[in-house]
Amino acid sequence: MKRLIVLGVALAALALVLAGCGSDGAEEKQADQVLKIGTLSPLTGPYAADGNDIRQGAEAAVAVIKAQGGIPGFSDIVVVPADSACDPKQAVAAANKLINDKVPAVVGAYCSSATIPASETLAEEDIIMITPASTSPVVTERGLPYMFRTCGRDDHQAPAAVKFMKEVADVKSVFIVDDKTTYSQGMADGVAAAAKEAGIEVLGHEHVNQGDKDFSAVLTMVKDRNPDLFYISLQNSSSGATMVIQARRMGINAILMGQDAVFHPKLIEFAKADAEGMFCTFGDIDTTTQGYLDFLANYSSKYSAPGAYSAYSYDSAMAYLLAVKAAGTTDPAAVRAELLKLSFDGASKTVSYDEKGDSGSNYTVYQVRDGQFVPYWNSLTGQKY
Amino acid sequence: MTIQESKRLWVSLGVGLFWFLMLLWPLLGIKPGGLEFSETWAVFSKIAVAAVLIVAVYHLRQAGVLDFIGTPLVKASEAVGRGYQKAPTWLLLAVVLAAALIYPQFAGRYGNDVAISVLIYICLGLGLNVVVGLAGLLDLGYIAFYGVGAYAYALLSLHFGLSFWTCLPIAAMLAAISGCIIGFPTLRMRGDYLAIVTLGFGEIVRLILNNWMTLTNGPNGILGIPRPDFFGYNFASLSSLYYVILGIAVFTVLAVYRLNHSRIGRAWEAIREDETAAELMGVNTFLLKLLAYAMGATFAGLAGAFFASRMRFVGPESFTFLESAMVLAMVVLGGMGSIPGVILGVLVLVALPELFRDFELYRMLVFGGVMCTMMLVRPAGLWPAKRVGRRSEEME
Amino acid sequence: MDYFIQQLINGLTLGGVYALIALGYTMVYGIIQLINFAHGEFFAAGGYMGVIFISWLAAQGVHPYVCLGIGLVLAMLYCAMLAMAVERLAYRPLRQASRLAVLLSALGMSIFLQNGLMLTQGQYDKAYPTEITAGGFQLGGLYISYMQCLIVALTIFLLVVLNLLVFKTRIGKAMRATAQDKVMSALVGINANHIIALTFAIGAGLAAAAGIMVGLYYGTVSYSMGFVPGIKAFAAAVLGGIGNITGAMIGGLIIGMVEIFAAGYISSQYKDVFAFIILIGVLYFKPTGIMGENVDDTRV
Repeated sequence: MKRLIVLGVALAALALVLAGCGSDGAEEKQADQVLKIGTLSPLTGPYAADGNDIRQGAEAAVAVIKAQGGIPGFSDIVVVPADSACDPKQAVAAANKLINDKVPAVVGAYCSSATIPASETLAEEDIIMITPASTSPVVTERGLPYMFRTCGRDDHQAPAAVKFMKEVADVKSVFIVDDKTTYSQGMADGVAAAAKEAGIEVLGHEHVNQGDKDFSAVLTMVKDRNPDLFYISLQNSSSGATMVIQARRMGINAILMGQDAVFHPKLIEFAKADAEGMFCTFGDIDTTTQGYLDFLANYSSKYSAPGAYSAYSYDSAMAYLLAVKAAGTTDPAAVRAELLKLSFDGASKTVSYDEKGDSGSNYTVYQVRDGQFVPYWNSLTGQKY
Repeated sequence: MTIQESKRLWVSLGVGLFWFLMLLWPLLGIKPGGLEFSETWAVFSKIAVAAVLIVAVYHLRQAGVLDFIGTPLVKASEAVGRGYQKAPTWLLLAVVLAAALIYPQFAGRYGNDVAISVLIYICLGLGLNVVVGLAGLLDLGYIAFYGVGAYAYALLSLHFGLSFWTCLPIAAMLAAISGCIIGFPTLRMRGDYLAIVTLGFGEIVRLILNNWMTLTNGPNGILGIPRPDFFGYNFASLSSLYYVILGIAVFTVLAVYRLNHSRIGRAWEAIREDETAAELMGVNTFLLKLLAYAMGATFAGLAGAFFASRMRFVGPESFTFLESAMVLAMVVLGGMGSIPGVILGVLVLVALPELFRDFELYRMLVFGGVMCTMMLVRPAGLWPAKRVGRRSEEME
Repeated sequence: MDYFIQQLINGLTLGGVYALIALGYTMVYGIIQLINFAHGEFFAAGGYMGVIFISWLAAQGVHPYVCLGIGLVLAMLYCAMLAMAVERLAYRPLRQASRLAVLLSALGMSIFLQNGLMLTQGQYDKAYPTEITAGGFQLGGLYISYMQCLIVALTIFLLVVLNLLVFKTRIGKAMRATAQDKVMSALVGINANHIIALTFAIGAGLAAAAGIMVGLYYGTVSYSMGFVPGIKAFAAAVLGGIGNITGAMIGGLIIGMVEIFAAGYISSQYKDVFAFIILIGVLYFKPTGIMGENVDDTRV
């Protein structure tokens, strides 16, 4: 009993000391001018796959800049990864940890539902946040000055998808399923609204829950309604693949279409032949540009093949590093000014941010053909590839 | 320790390690490309060495070889313990409170953040302690009340512009009412049936929060919840928020302490020890069980309202079953029915994963392992309550 | 009408999976009154072992169906071993401790196993060789996939075997005796520890079979997949009357059916709500579950 009390007091003291040490250590490092970039992405949990892509993309960008001789005034550049777990509370805790580590900028997060609260915390300390993956419009619509986005927006993606349904696939009816997350539901609602406007009949809009594996009831309903196109808006590629497999097994012959969270090489790896012919919208990434080839060379030498968001994360980190290089300081206002001026050929696209922090959307419809995503139709030009 | 005993110890260690190897190898060694052993060996050898060392130390300690280290340590801790006992309780409490009061001046932002979650969990843990520790009702859906409190504050402040201090009692009351609503049909059940039903209610609340778009904005959650302010002073910084939750936590500790030592508290403990006997002694078990639910929910509601204002965002992801399990783990780990125990449990379970944050991937593995080991070493908790009887089924 | 029958078949399939998992819960509960929270992890481990063994055998050029059979047996054996290890380490030392302590130990074990799977197998989901059982057949207006047939057939087969084991063999008799009274059964020469370990092993084997079926049916396995089906199977076990084998089967079927019909006719987002409401409703009017006997009052 007595020993326990001592133990308890010791533990509390330990926690105190550690909390103190954490901040002291960070200050010391600041003295030798190491540029730190935080990444905030789900490193554990069901979205860990995309989260790792984001971390690795940022690391690849840092490696490229270091190989080019680094940034004058900074002896080293390091990536400080933090785990958002796609959970608001964890994301805020991780954001506070990054603040404590004195990072001037954060690349992340993945889920819009984690990005939004984390950005509120980061905004209190004027830390620049560049999200490579959160496409919810709310992210940049709140007027936060230091919030930037390298990927596209849902309210651009949904019309692009519907335009494709109408003009290219020429469908009369659509059935929509989402899995009730900020992102996937926002996307599905957008598609439903745009489809109605375009005169495509929405035969049903069902919601499943995150983490479900059994979709047989919903899919039976889809089969019963017999739509021309079945729109799948799920939060990750693995549940997308599960749904595709079950849909084909059940004998659903509708055209399958997904969005950019389902778009991942893993979708094809899991669903194999069942994914053939499926369409997905994703930000246009031209794989022939020098920017992409640089990225690929650096990324693939260290990690396995890039995932869906690796290139965006690479560009986000790259944009920040270039802005710091131009500004010569990590002062947020100066870096923001440089970021707004910036325009460079990144891996995903030519990156330039507008006043809101958005970088424009250019959605392309990809089709799965022979086990690969092949660009099929560009929503901006309206041309097939 | 006799030769036989030590032989048995080492043989069982050998069997255990062999068994572990058999379990580990298929996970790491069988690949479509062929069988391999190097990866398995790399992991296994480290764990085997660690296990052998632990057993060796245990063995030596049993044999008395380590007394020269152990004895002075025990003596030192006993000396400290004596010093502690001489000091009056109020002095110790004052020291702890003073330490808690000056803490934000020394801790960084991260330290404050961790301290705030520790205090939130202290409220939750003590609330659940009323239900599980005092009244002996196993509740696996406790986090639902926390959610009710959080959403109550979020909605009331955003739609009606009510201030934090007005909402705090309302949130607590709403949580208490929902505690009664959930408690009413479940109190007929006992034991594990109660556990699954409360778990079910917890899930139902979470699913409703996630799906009732018009009220809760579904998965998008509610944004822009105001921070508390007090006659014009806005608690915007983390350190000032720390004092708010410190106040709520101190209130919770005092309230639970007073409840525990009141007539009601004794009646709850009677129900926990033997419900039938308590009823025979004239305890109104139904009303008191309902009261336990309501009281437990009240503290969760307080914590929830604060949580919403601290995050400035509430979403259904924060109220999953895993959270309920976490709070339960804190209560049981610390010692059911014991207030300092619960606080210690919270400290251990919140601080531990934070300390391991640098080993991001191994964090939860270690957490699970430690939780298991703690139960094996101290099944009654770190700081067991003084008044706990042994129930008949444990006498077997 | 076709729609209804199609959903009925879906419900039967899902119910079969739940029933297999629920059996493990109910058997363990019946014998030591413990809610084995780690049971869902045996299900996940089974799914992973299935894909590991099947893809390895397939790479050796073994016929796909033989792969499937051997993989199933090996995965069941593996999970049985895993369960025995878990029982020995985390539960046996706590036989005399309070029931909440054991529950917490189980919860800790569950987190530990889940993360162990993640660390050894990676965070990415794993793909199952679904092509082995692809396809189906048309029956009137219905379309039944081979996988659904396989799940229902395997579930029935395993249930029959289990029932024979429990009610017709000496081991089964020993298990039932231990469940009724540990002290008395020890007096007549039954080693309770062995019987308990065996019960864990059988339950985990059944969960592993369910894990492989789920992997083949849905195409992927993930390290976190054990949790949600684990909770629902636990609900199924309680619904049927925990500790009762027939009850677990009925409970599993009911939960599966309710989920499918709620999703198919009312609202797929609230399907779990309906499953839990049915559970609460049944328990309210019959507090010990459908097939359950009266629980001893002294239990927590």
